[in-house]
Amino acid sequence: MVERKEIEHLGDLVKVELKEPEKYVKQVEQILNYFERLDKVEFNSDKTLKNEIQVKTLREDKHVPYEIEGKPLIKSLRKDQNNFIRAPKMI
Amino acid sequence: MNLGISAIEFLSQVKDETISVEEFVAKTIDRIKKVEDKVHAYITLDDKNALEQAKVIDKKIRTKEKVGSCLGMPISIKDNICTAGLKTTCASKMLENFIAPYDATVVSKLKAEDAIIIGKTNLDEFAMGSTTEFSYFGPTKNPWNTEYVPGGSSGGSGVSVSTHECIISLGSDTGGSVRSPASFCSVVGLKPTYGLVSRYGLVSYANSIEQIGPIARTVEDVAFILNILSGLDVHDNTTIGKGDTDYTKDLDAGVSGKKIGIITQMTTDGIDKEVASATNKAISKLQGLGAECIPISLDAVEHSVAAYYTIASAEASSNLARYDNLRYGFDFGIEGYEFKAYVSKVRGNFGPEVTRRILLGAFVLSAGYYGKYYLKAQKVRAMIKSQLEVAFKKVDVLITPTMPILPYKIGEKIDDPLTLYLSDINTITANLSGIPAISVPFEISSSGFPIGIQLLANTLQEKKLLQAAYALQQTTHLRAMPI
Repeated sequence: MVERKEIEHLGDLVKVELKEPEKYVKQVEQILNYFERLDKVEFNSDKTLKNEIQVKTLREDKHVPYEIEGKPLIKSLRKDQNNFIRAPKMI
Repeated sequence: MNLGISAIEFLSQVKDETISVEEFVAKTIDRIKKVEDKVHAYITLDDKNALEQAKVIDKKIRTKEKVGSCLGMPISIKDNICTAGLKTTCASKMLENFIAPYDATVVSKLKAEDAIIIGKTNLDEFAMGSTTEFSYFGPTKNPWNTEYVPGGSSGGSGVSVSTHECIISLGSDTGGSVRSPASFCSVVGLKPTYGLVSRYGLVSYANSIEQIGPIARTVEDVAFILNILSGLDVHDNTTIGKGDTDYTKDLDAGVSGKKIGIITQMTTDGIDKEVASATNKAISKLQGLGAECIPISLDAVEHSVAAYYTIASAEASSNLARYDNLRYGFDFGIEGYEFKAYVSKVRGNFGPEVTRRILLGAFVLSAGYYGKYYLKAQKVRAMIKSQLEVAFKKVDVLITPTMPILPYKIGEKIDDPLTLYLSDINTITANLSGIPAISVPFEISSSGFPIGIQLLANTLQEKKLLQAAYALQQTTHLRAMPI
């Protein structure tokens, strides 16, 4: 059973303002109920899948200045003020 | 001028100067302008640039300069693949004005071969969906009946190829997003082996399962473009080298003496009658060509939808945490907001499906639930992989219908996410296990909708997969798309 309180708390954690939390309560509950079947699967191995790829040659670890049409990348971002990005204040 | 020619036909007609690139591209742009009102396949069109490039390529051909192997072929790109200087919106308000500072590796490779990027195609927001209805810019419509969904999430890509608005398109396939629109729009769509094609420049949604894949009119065209797209990339450490494999060579090797496994769980329960009968017909055709078809049971498939959506949502939730609208994003001033309130407010602009998956992902990863959902999902994934390994010891390729159902009306299932998720059951196996899979158009239903057949092969067995797909394609005579 998923409660509105829980969905609102999740919305708060993932920083998404929910316009209609009730709608998500019902849908998330329905989907999680379906996911319940994962808990009942009988496994004969604890193995999880890993995509292991051996990397023999790593690219050189050097600083590459990134420019677009001769301007540093930061200039193409918005709210740029003397090479800083403006953000709302943190209290 | 026939804009519906295959890539291979385009190349030969440009080579023998039956057509000029400029004329073909100009006619394609006219076509786009004529049909876009009906189908809405594109988000952004780069028509002026495309025409200029076409002129440059024509000149190179006339003056016998070196020209790349695409010879000015118009190609569309799903709008979650970065293109320098051209918007990459992911069909989201969050990126509605975003212009990437670089080209994705696949885009650089196409440009290096003188392909013309004609525009960016519509998708479900951040590629989350299977109908292309969840686009901030409005849905794409199925050209076979514009009241119906084209499949998704690469719906714009599928439709752009199907309606002759380009020759080839690149999509991305996280759970069937290339194969579903290919099936619903009667075109060919390939999800390559995980790592065969670089993901550098693909906007991340679920990194461990997604791949960029081509949508084209024929299997030969898919083989042609895969030669260009595949291979190692220093910008993507998950890429795999392909050696000197030429996917276009021996395409007509046939299936005689090959073993084909029919996945029981995907061909019996819950599938549309006509889809089932088309699948049986495809199996008989392959048998007629000398293949031996045997049933293969993969019982882990029963848990695959739950495992897939657990993993995809978990990865989506983490990947989408980066969108705070500060460095780039839509116009929304920071004045008067405290940091967290600002970020929550702007992130409230994600569409409903993206929001659902962010919430689900956060839930399944949260303390106390990790072992119950995420860990179990990863074990199911290993179980699917090991059952496939057993299967591929017995057979060369596997066969299923691509989609268990026919296209449905736009809006019909939009508020029923679980039903939509369940329709991915046949496609997600390839994503969870990393193996390649292709959808080949096979039949048109009595109601006038395309039915695609899916073939799957073991890791890096694209060549075998394409040979079987080519053999199947040669047995079909499909009628033309109606628009």
